Amino acid sequence: MKQYFNFSLLSMVFTYLLIFIGGLVRVSGAGMGCPDWPKCFGRWIPPTSLSQLPDYIDSEKFNLVLAWVEYLNRLFGALVGLIILITFILGYIHFKKSKKVFVPITVAFFLTLLEGWVGAKLVDTVLDPITITIHLLLALVIIGLIIYSAIQAYYAIAGNFESKSSYHPHTKPVILGILICIFIEIIIGTEIRGGLDMSRKENPLIEGVILLKMLGPFKYMHTILGFTLLGLTIYLWKIVNDIKFISSSFMVNSVNFIMGLIITQIILGEALVFLEVKPLMQLFHMWFSSILVGLSVASFTFYKISMEK
Amino acid sequence: MIKKSYIISIVVIVSFLGISATWVISKANESINELPAVIKKVPEFSMTSHIGESFNQDSLLNKISIIDFIFTSCPGPCPIMSSNMRTLYRQYRLHNDLQFISISVDPEYDTQEVLKNYADANGVNDERWKFLRADMDEVKKLSTDGFMFMSESLPAGHSVKFVLVDENGDIRQFYNGTDDGSISILRTHINLISFTDR
Repeated sequence: MKQYFNFSLLSMVFTYLLIFIGGLVRVSGAGMGCPDWPKCFGRWIPPTSLSQLPDYIDSEKFNLVLAWVEYLNRLFGALVGLIILITFILGYIHFKKSKKVFVPITVAFFLTLLEGWVGAKLVDTVLDPITITIHLLLALVIIGLIIYSAIQAYYAIAGNFESKSSYHPHTKPVILGILICIFIEIIIGTEIRGGLDMSRKENPLIEGVILLKMLGPFKYMHTILGFTLLGLTIYLWKIVNDIKFISSSFMVNSVNFIMGLIITQIILGEALVFLEVKPLMQLFHMWFSSILVGLSVASFTFYKISMEK
Repeated sequence: MIKKSYIISIVVIVSFLGISATWVISKANESINELPAVIKKVPEFSMTSHIGESFNQDSLLNKISIIDFIFTSCPGPCPIMSSNMRTLYRQYRLHNDLQFISISVDPEYDTQEVLKNYADANGVNDERWKFLRADMDEVKKLSTDGFMFMSESLPAGHSVKFVLVDENGDIRQFYNGTDDGSISILRTHINLISFTDR
């Protein structure tokens, strides 16, 4: 049983790394680094020179660095798939009767397969913007399910660590509100990113800052919702730290992290607008939002467990 | 409160990821910003455009040119090529240093008037996109000697490539004119040449 918990943590860490690498592919423009799938230029190990390209692929598409960046994402994806498969099997062995552990990891496993297929579709459609968004959203759902399953497994192993807790009745709706807002923020965020790419393509000789201004309402919605999230988080932080209620250290830490990350995200987001769009900042902006999803799911799970007495 | 060791490990992990990512991004940028080397010079040729101007190798100088070979009655790949060319023509409407050249491989059918109509149908309203014609021998010569295309079975067997020619009249790269991925790379190279020239 402990083994399952360890593997679910491993799945979580590796999935987060994979989300980071996926974002890296996006910001470094390596999405079409391999124009075919699953092989790269018709080979299992990407070519290192032009002479290794097969006839049916146009040679101008070959860029050694981009091919390897994209291929790293695929190899790492395969590794993560394998780790989640092992976690799923361990879940079957130890937890098949415990729905709260086994159902989420089962769904996560099948969504991981679907995620691989969406990745292939991305290459097919030459990086269709909607498919890119689906690729990211699926990853977030998968990470949420893994975290939920991991915490439920911990509960099954270690007993109810939330038994002494009592939370403010607003805790659940506030956490759910935060989670929903983050998802909407991520969708708007990918729209901004996609719109930026699109208008850069349509107006190739105009600078990024001006393009960002041309995007208009989307950008403001993203900012407004960001501050709404800050408000919700401040409220959550207040009720979790309210001395009239008792919170577990898990909950307190998780809410503290959410708070820190939301503030970081607002700073990063505004910096992206005012300091020109920097790829590294974009990457962390996206990655931190995925961690926010994980932390919100974790807080939600802690709350749910505290209700089981 | 959150332990110090937590914070330190978070800082270490984020810095490590940040540094690795910076390295990958800069490597990727370098590789994207590397213009393809000169392949060869476009040889001498002489043709006439759809508005009756003469056009030769010197007309390629001081401009970035995107060249393809098509014929107006072509049922196969040409409509896709011309549609992609039209998109580029529209996207670079503010960029007068860029010219698009479509050379007919069926000069018997594609008279100047036919080419003029074809240009109109493609929304050409300025000097940036030119449709050229010349004797079949001249076309074959340019296609084979100039651009290293197979020219035995023209018009049907023409190449679907777009050719990028720089401001010195040198061929830089060939792109598949029917493939979005290839054209996106062409776009990167056009932007690169225009920005480095400034």
